Amino acid sequence: MIDSALSIALSELTEAQRVAVTWRDGPMFVLAGPGSGKTRVLTTRVAKLLADTPDRSFRVLALTFTNKAADEMSARVTALVPEQERRALIGTFHSFCMQMLQQHGSHIGINPDFAIYSLDVDRQEILRDAIKQSGLNQDDVRLLSTIDKLKSQLVQPAGSARYFRDPSDGARVEQVYTAYEAALSQANALDFGSLIAQAHRLVTDFPGIAGRYRKTYAYWMFDEFQDTNDGQYRLIRTLAGEDFRNVFAVADDDQIIYQWNGASYQQIQRFRADFSPQELQLPTNYRCPPAIVAAANRLVVHNLQRTAAKQPLEAGKTSLKYSDEQHIRVLRYSTDDVEAASIAEGIAKIDPARWGEVAVLARTRYMLEKLQSALTQKQVNAVISQRRDDFRSPQFLWLAAVLRQALRPLDRRALETLTGAFNRWFGTDARIDLIITATELTERSLLDEWAVAVKTGLGDDFNGNALVDLAATFAKEPERFRQFVDAVLAMIPAQDDEASDIAEDRAAWSDLVRSIGKTIGRNAPLEQFLQELAIRSKEAPVGSNTVTLMTIHGAKGKEFDHVYVVGMAEDILPSFQSLKAGENSAEMEEERRNCFVAITRAREWLCLSYADNYRGWSKQPSRFLSEMGFALPDQPAQ
Amino acid sequence: MKISRLKISNFRSIKEADIQFGAVTVLIGTNNAGKSAILEAIRIALTRRWGQRGTGFTEYDVHLCDGRPDPKVGDPVVIEVELQEAVADEWPEDLHSELEDIIQLDPVTDRASIIMRVSCSWEAAEESFVPRWEFLNVDRNPLAGRGARAVNLQEFFQFLPVFYLEALRDVTDEFSSRSQFWGKLLRTVQIPEPLEQKSKRIFDLLNRRLLDADPLLANLATGLSHISRVAASDAPGLADLRLLPLNTWDILSKAEVIYQTEGGKPWLPLARHGQGVQSLSVMFLFKAFVELILNDLYRPESTAVLALEEPETHLHPQAARSLWHHISELPGQKIVTTHSPYFLQHVPFREIRVVRVEANGTTVSALPRQFRAPVPHVPQIDAIIADSAGLITYDRGLNELVVSGALPQNQYRSLLMAYGGRPDTQAIHAALRKASDASQEFISDAELEQLETFARRIRGEIFFARRWLLVEGPSDYHLVHGIAKGLGYDLDEHGVAVIDFQNNGSPEIFAVLARALGYPWLAVVDGDAAGLGYIDRITARKFSDEEKARRTFSLPAGYLEQQLIADGLQNELKAILVSFGNAGAANFDDEKLITALENDKSGYAAVLAKQCAENPALAQRMPEPFRNAILALRGLT
Repeated sequence: MIDSALSIALSELTEAQRVAVTWRDGPMFVLAGPGSGKTRVLTTRVAKLLADTPDRSFRVLALTFTNKAADEMSARVTALVPEQERRALIGTFHSFCMQMLQQHGSHIGINPDFAIYSLDVDRQEILRDAIKQSGLNQDDVRLLSTIDKLKSQLVQPAGSARYFRDPSDGARVEQVYTAYEAALSQANALDFGSLIAQAHRLVTDFPGIAGRYRKTYAYWMFDEFQDTNDGQYRLIRTLAGEDFRNVFAVADDDQIIYQWNGASYQQIQRFRADFSPQELQLPTNYRCPPAIVAAANRLVVHNLQRTAAKQPLEAGKTSLKYSDEQHIRVLRYSTDDVEAASIAEGIAKIDPARWGEVAVLARTRYMLEKLQSALTQKQVNAVISQRRDDFRSPQFLWLAAVLRQALRPLDRRALETLTGAFNRWFGTDARIDLIITATELTERSLLDEWAVAVKTGLGDDFNGNALVDLAATFAKEPERFRQFVDAVLAMIPAQDDEASDIAEDRAAWSDLVRSIGKTIGRNAPLEQFLQELAIRSKEAPVGSNTVTLMTIHGAKGKEFDHVYVVGMAEDILPSFQSLKAGENSAEMEEERRNCFVAITRAREWLCLSYADNYRGWSKQPSRFLSEMGFALPDQPAQ
Repeated sequence: MKISRLKISNFRSIKEADIQFGAVTVLIGTNNAGKSAILEAIRIALTRRWGQRGTGFTEYDVHLCDGRPDPKVGDPVVIEVELQEAVADEWPEDLHSELEDIIQLDPVTDRASIIMRVSCSWEAAEESFVPRWEFLNVDRNPLAGRGARAVNLQEFFQFLPVFYLEALRDVTDEFSSRSQFWGKLLRTVQIPEPLEQKSKRIFDLLNRRLLDADPLLANLATGLSHISRVAASDAPGLADLRLLPLNTWDILSKAEVIYQTEGGKPWLPLARHGQGVQSLSVMFLFKAFVELILNDLYRPESTAVLALEEPETHLHPQAARSLWHHISELPGQKIVTTHSPYFLQHVPFREIRVVRVEANGTTVSALPRQFRAPVPHVPQIDAIIADSAGLITYDRGLNELVVSGALPQNQYRSLLMAYGGRPDTQAIHAALRKASDASQEFISDAELEQLETFARRIRGEIFFARRWLLVEGPSDYHLVHGIAKGLGYDLDEHGVAVIDFQNNGSPEIFAVLARALGYPWLAVVDGDAAGLGYIDRITARKFSDEEKARRTFSLPAGYLEQQLIADGLQNELKAILVSFGNAGAANFDDEKLITALENDKSGYAAVLAKQCAENPALAQRMPEPFRNAILALRGLT
């Protein structure tokens, strides 16, 4: 039985999309170009699998890379098959591993209520304490990134030394890594890397658990498979065991731009070797005008690390706003400042109601910041959109830290954050070391001592005192955290000196609460709320009349009517490092894919710009411009 | 799926209880011992109705004691329900998928388990007792993430619907159209539309004819039409008389069971039959309900849990005796309370749970095959397990060490060593000690089999007794009854079961049975080689010297007749023999007297017992071990 929303969705598929959607059993690999409708293919396939089997109870697993993408996918599946939605587990690799560890982690000593440390400052603090307690060298705090690298390759602390050429280096790393993991475990906490690494350890040590996932989740789907790193791939491989075949991966080898994070064409090749999938290509691009599609094709053939038989993109967009030669502009400016000012001026001329559909993309943050100030000067609303691991305003930092402190009364990091944030908010000067010493004397909780300490500095500030009292009462009954949050939200001012941070954080908070509520229910207890909060970005949703400024990495999976790609110059895109690595290097190919991703974000119109001079250094126009076949302006525009 | 274990804390009469369940489990115990509390715990734990009054807990559900006079202050009420597959994939596939988020896995044996906890305490802010349902992981920590969503509970309940048949079963209630089984059954009846229409036409026609048959009826209808004039309604109403049902539901809802006890007797509605038939019919109604529509109302994989109070109510002993068979054949999992020795006669020993109320609240005793210690898995125990030939296993689905028999000292010590030097060593050692001690009371299947064969006659009765007195044979049996009565301690009145073990098995089985099930016991045996041998066999079952001294008595002069002579009862005994027509007995010497008595053991003993009962002075002269034993029975623990 197929309900109407689904049958409409099915009828709207193209032939190639339909083949992918109706694929049932066995491994499948879909090479899908940008704008080829891969999200639609994935969600419709999930919905169809469920709708075709209303009397069965197996579940379908769909993994992607951002919570936002996961939320969107599950909203779409819900709309298509509302009564079967429970049978779909749609999430990120990290959220999936989190759930696995919540349910079965006790077999490897992980409690379900673990905290997730998503901030590097928190992790450094943990490592610093661990090093101090084990009597190791204080300088080794900088080994955190080495530890992360080991983790991403699923290397456990024991025996990690053998991954180093120099045995004494290895021994040192192993000691530090061991101490760090012990400290995390002591704090009942996991970091992002541990989520994957520990899930892998769980299913490796106990194959029965992998077997259970194979049985319960009869079909697996992976979005953006090209972004999978080594650890994530090996987790999938271990979960699948020798016999599981119902894996369905959607990827574009021309959009691998997370090589620095371990994503690699190799993962695609391993998938092909391990599962021998049927392959299907979705080359038709329904997003970009034909001129952009042609430029993208001309560009990407310069890469060698890609599927040999890959078909070029085909332009499939039928309704075009502009005539053919108007879809792309290439602009040259004398300096980066002029480039930013001129682009801002151009954007200012666009109807403000459409600013939400305008994006400026750059390889690095540098140009985005220039653009933001230029746009602000022209009174154009613009935000730099990127993943945020934490809130910005002291108000929301304080709120989140108090929640954490109430749940984990001994958590000193939370105390530091809430003390610092409150001091900033109310100009108090409570000192953490004094608070900690005081608790040792009085045996009161850290939060209670903080309340005492901060109240002396507050005087008769009504709001400040009220908030301290709220926090102190709440800490005694953490299960009533929703009431506490509501009360605090009501007291956070709409504006102050840092008004935009508060407004953004408030918007982010309500977005997060909605998203978390959808995942674990509106009545979930505090510890789970905080787990979900930790794995999500705290970035505010971009307002409808606001121009989005993004790095190319951040723009992946997104699309806009008008796209400006700025800084199209050698040493910037392609980057200095890739030029150093050589013309035919893997790094250069990744830069080219960055360019490919950037230009294929545009639905209607693309503007590529460069300057002769960046930060006072003269630069050549990006080689990618000529690879795409553009004639370059003879003179910089004025 | 069935409940394998229930743990209860602070609920009604129960301070702490830990009860294992099988397909059928039979709870016995005195009134107010706590049997119903156990059934209620299951009912409350497995039925939650959102926002509906009367579900969850009230202040009367909190266990109160000297240390806790106020239900609002103190530890919460906790009920923990465990369900575990006996083998991997015992549960149906759909159940696995539906309940995936709450299932815990023993990743070694692949057996699934589900652990649910309901806890409840007074919440000042809410001004009420707030219950909280949660599913737990193998370490008994609440599940997080998807496993914590409220929707899991509703799905879980669908698989395990609980039905409660109280002791007072009223057939008119149970067979009404609003009852839990009958009403639901009737509502599933589907009458084809054409038949429904045709019936309606016929009813209408007949109704009209009947009304026309007597003018009185027609006039009555007209008279009633005046209602509309009185009622404050503008539209003129109509009243008519309906002698026949309006529709088929009217008919169905009045359907009743008629029953003919035997050929030739009249067919009568159930309510007109005796109480026994009525009570039985309700049970069979449940059976029909489960077999016919349970899976439509719940899920195809659902298992009914039937809490059945006193199925023997109003039944003749013969009927009660055959009831076990019928109940074990009922679909689903059954948890039964009973007060009937006849019913209990056929219940396998392992299924019996003895419920008692003691100073610290209700206790529950049983004869488990396994003894479990909630200790974590450490690699050091793997070798011990491997060397134990199956005696010790580790259940990773519940994180418990499992001992399936009496744990030998050396293995117990190895286990203690394996858990040494940890911060929680003390707690783990305590848990191991508890399991090890309990395992010493293990009774093997072979021994129980032996009891099934020999002790069927008495088993119904001894399990309802308060104390056991073990004696060798029938003459001792008679005699202790008589002596006790003569000493002012009537054994029957005080709930003492006298077990003549020679006819029913062996003394040590009854001793270990008494220990395991918590029956205080004493044994009086002969002082000859055979009798002392009995004591040795008992103490060989890990009873301490202190226990031996306290619980076993022997006749110093040898066997019973020798002892009676040694106690100077020749004249009384001779008189009895003479009264039996053995005139020469009056002149017997001791040796001859003993021989003559031995030839008529139960005969003389019965008469002597009767004399003792009527003559306290005589009772006082009876062998001291008997008198001491009877004295010791008072307040025996």
